[in-house]
Amino acid sequence: MDLEPHTWLILGKLAGAGVALGFGGIGAAIGMGNAAGMANHAIMRQPKVQREMLRTMLIGQAVGEGAAVFALVIGLFIIVVSPANLDLIGGNYFAALLGAGLSIGFGTFGSGLGCGWPAGNACAGFARNPARSPKLTQSMIIGQAVAQSPSIFALVVSLILILTAKNGTDLPTMGIYISAGLAMGVSALGSGIGSGQTAGGAVDGIGRWPLAYGVTLRTMLIGQAVCETPAIFGMLVAFIMMFAMGDLNPGLLGFAQVFGAAIAVGFGGVGPGIGSGLTAAKGCAATALRPDKDALILRTMLIGQAVSQSTAIYALIIALALLYVVG
Amino acid sequence: MMDPTTLLTLMNAAVAQAPEAAEAGISGAALIKAGALIGAGICMGFGAIGPGIGEGFAAGKACEAIGRTPQEAGLLTRTMLIGQAVSESTGIYSLVIALLMLFVIG
Repeated sequence: MDLEPHTWLILGKLAGAGVALGFGGIGAAIGMGNAAGMANHAIMRQPKVQREMLRTMLIGQAVGEGAAVFALVIGLFIIVVSPANLDLIGGNYFAALLGAGLSIGFGTFGSGLGCGWPAGNACAGFARNPARSPKLTQSMIIGQAVAQSPSIFALVVSLILILTAKNGTDLPTMGIYISAGLAMGVSALGSGIGSGQTAGGAVDGIGRWPLAYGVTLRTMLIGQAVCETPAIFGMLVAFIMMFAMGDLNPGLLGFAQVFGAAIAVGFGGVGPGIGSGLTAAKGCAATALRPDKDALILRTMLIGQAVSQSTAIYALIIALALLYVVG
Repeated sequence: MMDPTTLLTLMNAAVAQAPEAAEAGISGAALIKAGALIGAGICMGFGAIGPGIGEGFAAGKACEAIGRTPQEAGLLTRTMLIGQAVSESTGIYSLVIALLMLFVIG
């Protein structure tokens, strides 16, 4: 395609900023709405501590909203900042902007959605036991901070894509930029949702049975670490594509190679991320109920999460085969 | 009705352009190979979603049940692993089909 540099630039800005804010807003909006709904339900049960619940809800929503703010920052960056030499811009710059949008758009979706559960469950815990509010707020913020990490990975990858894009137009390089963004963004989606569910389960457990605070928090952090695995696989593949790719096949074949790898590792990470989160959420609640059996529950949780992660590892193998073996 | 000389000129031009189109990477063989590569990615990527969520769901319920009745942990873990193995089967089908597309068709 022979387009003017100016046309490529405007097309890239439109596509990148649109994808970033379109997808990036969905997760935070659902998650924060969920938190507000649970807070309302909790205030209905215990109207006496409504001020504390409102404060906790707002803190939790502010942390979760951070995901949408990342998407907003990248979207504005894409729209406002243009490279110095406009004459050399081509399809590669368009692809880099679109990839950055895909990365931050999908990447913040999961974190925003996930951060709603701990915030809502913290308010529900207040309604059960108003005296425990500092520990609930503390565990909520720790859990949300870990759940935000996939969106920070996505932020890093999208900034690298925007700032290091090459000049010119060639199909394999365009494929690399779009695919690196897709691999990072979609794989972060599952990890964000899973980590958020884990934090939600832990805060719920602490709200119901507050005596086992420390051991529940430990189980939560281990569970969240396993949930982050697909996002780390996605980031690994994105970095391989951007910095460690050998010679790709020319033309359509090179594009197909990287795009196939991105779909495999990206979408392949969604299920294991969410599944590990479902497991860890129940594991945290069970630990809070029976802290004396924490080792047994942790063992079962890790076995279950490992089996759930196996499909993410298959997807990583297929992606690496596409990148290195088939070429 | 087109002048025969013009028609002949146009046909010659079309024949002369055909090899160039093939060299630009749009030949049938390249298209099949590209389709196989993207297909393998779609197959393994989307195929991994279901087993991942399903196995996590099974393991979550097992953790919940062990929290309630820790003395039955052995039985519950065995049931969890059998259920997860069945759920894993579709992930393995996807893996096999993706490998077939990569190395047999591609």
